[in-house]
Amino acid sequence: MSENHVIDLIAAYALNILEADEAQQVASHLAACSSCATELQSYLRVVEQLPLAAPDANPPAHLKACLMSQLPKKQNFTAAEKPAPMHIAPEKRPWWQTLLQALPTLSPAWNLASAVLILVLSASNLFLWQRIKQLDHPSSRHFITVDLQGSPSIPSAAGVLVMDEQGHAGTLVVDGLPVLDNSKTYQLWLIRDGARTSGGVFSVDSLGYGSLWITSQIPLTRYDSFGVTIEPAGGSPGPTGEKVLGGEL
Amino acid sequence: MNYSTYDDYSLIHLVALAEEKALGALYDRYGKLVYSIALNSVGDAGLAEEITQDVFLRIWEKASTYQPEHGKVLTWITSITRHRAIDMLRRRSARPETVQPGWAVEEEGADDPPEMAAPENVEDLVDLAQQQQRVRKALAQLPQDQQKALAMAFFQGYSHSELALALGEPLGTVKTRIRLGMQKLRALLEIEA
Ligand SMILES: [Zn+2]
Repeated sequence: MSENHVIDLIAAYALNILEADEAQQVASHLAACSSCATELQSYLRVVEQLPLAAPDANPPAHLKACLMSQLPKKQNFTAAEKPAPMHIAPEKRPWWQTLLQALPTLSPAWNLASAVLILVLSASNLFLWQRIKQLDHPSSRHFITVDLQGSPSIPSAAGVLVMDEQGHAGTLVVDGLPVLDNSKTYQLWLIRDGARTSGGVFSVDSLGYGSLWITSQIPLTRYDSFGVTIEPAGGSPGPTGEKVLGGEL
Repeated sequence: MNYSTYDDYSLIHLVALAEEKALGALYDRYGKLVYSIALNSVGDAGLAEEITQDVFLRIWEKASTYQPEHGKVLTWITSITRHRAIDMLRRRSARPETVQPGWAVEEEGADDPPEMAAPENVEDLVDLAQQQQRVRKALAQLPQDQQKALAMAFFQGYSHSELALALGEPLGTVKTRIRLGMQKLRALLEIEA
């Protein structure tokens, strides 16, 4: 196989500009050659950055309104779907119910943690979230939650981390954290046997509410605890600043 | 509800759940970029508007199929845009020969990230501005002929042989130009082979 490496064609393949026969030849080689496949990955990373160098142009101001007026209605939430029984009083956002009802209609790639994120985001504060958690809804059996407590300096802060059963993905929602200036950020730490891995950085809105989508190389369920610290903007390789939230799985 | 502080993933999730304002927030964040890519490809403001609308309508329809593990939201959106623009050129079965797509290049030493509009999700946008500057600086270091061939290939979908014809150069020369340009970009962007 080594004599037939397609290395000279890989950049063009990544750009998707090969003639059909050449593209076919490259594709079948890639399926069998891991070194060329790695080469392709590196060029795809170049290609994905190229659109950022399109010369800046401003769309006309009317375009957004025009777009929004054309949105076709989605079929996901029809009136015929009976909302799940909810043991909470009708709140200002009754569309939670339709959201819950719609979960099964989402593609399987949408794990429950992301669906729960939607609920939490729409709940807009943790108090409402706690009430959702107490609901006896079938989907609640398929996710794991970790409560995070505010540290003594910020006792009013709280957070919850939600992940799917396998821990493939999760979301963090926080409430009651102070807004940071631009030189700082909040950073989530995934802790396992004392070793800390960054789970991402996030900011909070003026109400102290923030959220973070977490993806992890290893399942989130393998970590034993989670913490949030204040770090310089962009985040740190390891925690350096004040701890504001923490909790154990 | 103000979605401007939500990260891209959350917005896409909300769009999948038919939340129109979340699509509006995505448009506020990336509409300009989408339009810029489209305009650079087709060279016509009316067509670029049409493509921009198509792209966001497609996001509206397809958000539930988006898979975070396959790449960033930004990459998904720009890739839809590029393909949509190239499709449009192909459907019209004639490329605008007078339209020469280009690159926004930044010379070394320019270090103010592009100005951002409105309060928005800080991480995503700081990230975007930095990436934008990095790739523009990298492109600035390529010879003009490589820049030009790459722009035609990337924004207009020219194949090797179409490039050779349009540029009046031998096929081998064109192939080499694309390959060297991409190699150099990869090195400048510090992507490991
Ligand atoms: Zn190979």
